[in-house]
Amino acid sequence: MSEDTAPAQEAVDERPLAGGFGRLIVLVYVVFAVSAGARALFQVATKFGEAPVSFSLSAIAAAIYLVAAIAIIRGAGRLAMAAVVVELAGVVAVGALSFAVPDWFPEPSVWSHFGSGYGYVPLVLPVVGLAYLLKRRKGV
Amino acid sequence: MIDWLYFAVQAAALAMSAWFFVDTARSVRVGRRHLVGVAALELLLLAQLAASIAIVPGEAGDGKALFFSYLVTTILVPVAAVFWGSIDRSRWGIGTVAASGLIVAALMVRIHQIWEFQIHV
Repeated sequence: MSEDTAPAQEAVDERPLAGGFGRLIVLVYVVFAVSAGARALFQVATKFGEAPVSFSLSAIAAAIYLVAAIAIIRGAGRLAMAAVVVELAGVVAVGALSFAVPDWFPEPSVWSHFGSGYGYVPLVLPVVGLAYLLKRRKGV
Repeated sequence: MIDWLYFAVQAAALAMSAWFFVDTARSVRVGRRHLVGVAALELLLLAQLAASIAIVPGEAGDGKALFFSYLVTTILVPVAAVFWGSIDRSRWGIGTVAASGLIVAALMVRIHQIWEFQIHV
């Protein structure tokens, strides 16, 4: 909320970062944090040796989803922006790596093949999130 | 999994989502009829859970804990979305609940995969 440059106090209070479309974004982030996180914890706990890179990356992805969700809920625009940018860089880098060096990914991670195992939502989500945060930052 | 029940859940989730997205476009606030819609989907999901409790433990596969953790999560998603979405006064209040229908559909696909490959083997 500190990012909001709207002049009127009411306008700021009317539109918290987790309000409006932000609400939908938070729901998706929480669902991804929970589902990817639970899955990664299970994989790390039971079969970490089979695909250490994939499972570690999945756990990192889940943590970033959680940070993004909490940052948006608490109105921490800067932190939310940072989390979403890291997420976008991560899904692009890991997506490319999973094609370039498939040996590192005997089992898929959340970000492998640009998130194809999750309907490409991991690729779309940071783009939508970034667009939303940029739009809110300008106070449009 | 019972096929017709699985498809009924999918149809209900997608229909609810489509209906709520139309209301999102119309900027409709979350109202009682939306709660009835979510309740209908939840009843089908609970029927799915009851049927699974009856069927799954007798199957051979080893994905049972995974199956039930996914199913319980799926059941909770629309409920969480209603609480989270209905406090919003913009169109995205119902929009958030609409998105939960798509999430349910996606999770049900995954649950069906677990059934096919890790339980009913």
